[in-house]
Amino acid sequence: MELVRQERRDEAIALLLPAFRRRVFGLAYSFLRDREAAEDVTQEVFIKVWRALPRYDGRASMSTWIYTIARNASLSALRSRRPQSSLSDAEVMEAVEGVDPAPSADAGVDRAAILRLVEQLPTRQRQVIMLFYMEEQSHEEVAAMLAMPVGTVKTLLHRARARLSAAAGEVSATA
Amino acid sequence: MSTPDFELDKHLRALFGGLDTRPDFDARLMARLRAESQADATERMMRARQQESARYRRAVLELQGWRRSMLRLLTLDTLGVALLLVVAVVAARPYFSRNVMDMGRQYGPYIAMMVSIAIAAVPLLGIWAEQARRPTRSL
Repeated sequence: MELVRQERRDEAIALLLPAFRRRVFGLAYSFLRDREAAEDVTQEVFIKVWRALPRYDGRASMSTWIYTIARNASLSALRSRRPQSSLSDAEVMEAVEGVDPAPSADAGVDRAAILRLVEQLPTRQRQVIMLFYMEEQSHEEVAAMLAMPVGTVKTLLHRARARLSAAAGEVSATA
Repeated sequence: MSTPDFELDKHLRALFGGLDTRPDFDARLMARLRAESQADATERMMRARQQESARYRRAVLELQGWRRSMLRLLTLDTLGVALLLVVAVVAARPYFSRNVMDMGRQYGPYIAMMVSIAIAAVPLLGIWAEQARRPTRSL
């Protein structure tokens, strides 16, 4: 806030970037499900934040303010883009770091199958799952990111996990 | 047989835990911000230049208005009056006492300044009177 008051926007951004980059990227990714698009949106978000910093009055917390900008930017990117890609696309599979599309040796269900199951979840459940597991966020943090009550996040997470668990059980039984 | 919860957690963590931007993200962003910053500075400079140019135009217009007012005053009548005054002063000069002449020399610059101010005030008073006469526009 002090840096903002002194019009040292570059320094303020340099401080905000490590704290919010992954969260903003995760939020954008949970909407867009496309790494390239999510990165573009993340860049746009930080540029918007940089431009708007002189107008930031501190009424809302910095994180709430940044998440609002990120949600709006993601939604407008979502509206203007081509038909949605699917998480099971090879391109997107590659985008999720550390994902090996081949079945993992230590589990009955491979990760690609889990990704496909996540893809089939309702949007809000999918977003909560992604954000929760992305950085081991707290329920409160996920709630702040998605502008939802904490109780709703807990419910969505519980339902999504139950659904995934059941679906994974079915997949491994048929395999 | 269902996948145990901990295994599901492990899969989900593995899937989404490593999700991050590319390594050069920060560098690209800072480069874009530097470009934005430069564009911002250029825009500010352009705006300042435009404001300065508008101020200059306004000043020139005011000066031209003042010159026009002065030229309007410069009629044969005013020239005649000024000439008469000069003739009167020159004619009366030998009859002024020494004291009056000394005073004139002492306060001459001040008197000249007061007369100049009076002359300059005439068009300004004229403009003020014109504005005061103009009816106020009703909304």
